[in-house]
Amino acid sequence: MLGLLLAVLLIPYLVAAYGLLFVKLRWGLRLFGVFIMLTIGLLMVMFFVEAYPIIVRDGVAVFFQADWDPVRESYGVLQALVGTVLTSAMAIVLAMPMAVGAAVTINEILPARWREVFGSLVDLTATMPTVIFGLWGLFVLGPFLQDLVNRLAGGVVMTSPYTLFTGSVLLAIMITPYAAAVIREGYALVPKPVEEAIYAVGATRFEAVLIKLRYIRNYILGGFFLALGRAMGETVAVAMVVGGNFARLTTNLFDSGITISSLIALQFPNAAAYQYMVPALFTAALLLALFGLVINATAIYIIQRWQI
Amino acid sequence: MTVVRKVVNWLGLGLFVFLGVVAVVPLFLIIGDIYIKGIDAINKLGGLWHFLTALPPSPFDEKGGIGPMLVGTLYMTALGTLFGVAIGFPLGVYIGEMRREKFAGVARAGVNVLVEFPTITIGLFVYAVMSLAKEDLNRYVMAPLSNAVTAVLGGWASYFIGPLGGYNAYAGAAALALVMIPYVALITASAYASIEQPLREAAYDIGGREFNALFVVLRKAVSRAILTAVLIGTAKIAGETAPLFFTAFGNFYYAPFTEATGAVSLWIWYAAQTPYDVQITSAYGAAAVLLTIILTIFIIARIRR
Repeated sequence: MLGLLLAVLLIPYLVAAYGLLFVKLRWGLRLFGVFIMLTIGLLMVMFFVEAYPIIVRDGVAVFFQADWDPVRESYGVLQALVGTVLTSAMAIVLAMPMAVGAAVTINEILPARWREVFGSLVDLTATMPTVIFGLWGLFVLGPFLQDLVNRLAGGVVMTSPYTLFTGSVLLAIMITPYAAAVIREGYALVPKPVEEAIYAVGATRFEAVLIKLRYIRNYILGGFFLALGRAMGETVAVAMVVGGNFARLTTNLFDSGITISSLIALQFPNAAAYQYMVPALFTAALLLALFGLVINATAIYIIQRWQI
Repeated sequence: MTVVRKVVNWLGLGLFVFLGVVAVVPLFLIIGDIYIKGIDAINKLGGLWHFLTALPPSPFDEKGGIGPMLVGTLYMTALGTLFGVAIGFPLGVYIGEMRREKFAGVARAGVNVLVEFPTITIGLFVYAVMSLAKEDLNRYVMAPLSNAVTAVLGGWASYFIGPLGGYNAYAGAAALALVMIPYVALITASAYASIEQPLREAAYDIGGREFNALFVVLRKAVSRAILTAVLIGTAKIAGETAPLFFTAFGNFYYAPFTEATGAVSLWIWYAAQTPYDVQITSAYGAAAVLLTIILTIFIIARIRR
């Protein structure tokens, strides 16, 4: 009955909001603000309600347990948590230099008419469907990385093309444009007098870039956190290349693993057959949502608080 | 300037350019890979028209296509865009134009959080609401509505309106709309916030009512930015996969939109992970089609700017 109310009230609510736009504009607009806050609130409540059975059964143990055995109805998300942390850490380490490089190249080094083109290419990378990255990772990047790593190591380090490392590299490619966009935004805001002062003391182009990068460090930090949030939440591409090993905890980057979001994507289709699997997956989703909330809140706080 | 500083200067700048190029190169590799293998795949699976309309190949077929998925993607993307803009645009006006209000600041923080939310959690959210609402919704609303509508319009209307299955195109569209709303809202907000004060005063002057000032006069000043946002947002949700897993679910056949519906992105995800060559080939063909759709929208958005 509650669900019916929700679904049925949605339409009159939106109609009322639109109607109010014509009568009392400000209140109409406010209703849209209320709508989005209700959605976020409902999302968190729904996740908690759906996850409740397993939290009651296992307590916080579900977060610190690393086995996933549907037959015994025993679920833990630690291995997925470790996988998420490992892949996003590795991805962000690879992505940040690329993002800074891309931002500096576009804003500083390229001639003005090439900036638009290069910037569009970076934006296009952010718009490309993640499943296409996944397809490429599955058939091109994975085998390539396996070959490369094994040749560099001079032995069989990567036994499979699909590992946490493959996922990290693919993630790094995907999150670079998000960080680059934030850094570019900050870069464009460096005041002209500051720039002139830098060159006036005789700095070379490279030194000027370094000083400017230090000047906009809050934006770099903000971009870092936004990209980190993306990396933690990315699902499809990672699920395709990460190996799908949800039964065993591993901290070896060159081993197949799992992340929280790919655990949900890969396990949800057969979750209905087990009593506690759906709650366990909603626990994972709740964790993911909380992660996202904290990281993005930090990023927004950093960017807004120390605005130049 | 000493020689050392000159060398460091060139080395440093070179490093930045190198890193920037490394960031962009994968894009070309991906687009090249998808088109080279994709066009080949479409030819092998029976030509472009066959590929765009036929049912997907079973593991033992020689030919096949992505017809049902393409229809599903177009339908859900259109609906998602419609609702995404219908809610995202006024929301953006609110947080951009009334930003001195305390609640507008709260709403802006909410939108900022939602835009970075993992899309799979949005899919799960719609799934949870759907499973909560489905039974009563069907009994009290959808069944009578469907009877009334089919009585007037004929049987074909039941393909669009009818008792909903656990997975359906409307849940998929709702999830896509939820992905799009914050995106449109943020760009609308920053476009409205960047209007200069004199222009705003002039708009209020000739607009008379606040509604006219905001939605008729000032709309012209920001329409370009917002149209770009809508186009890029459309391109984004057309390729989304994660929000559709548990809402549209995917379907290999032409089916009513009230039941599980296929999407091109879902087919790529499914077919790429099967062990059958013909389905992997069709995944590449589907990727080429999806990429073409998205590149077209993206280029239109860029040229307009």
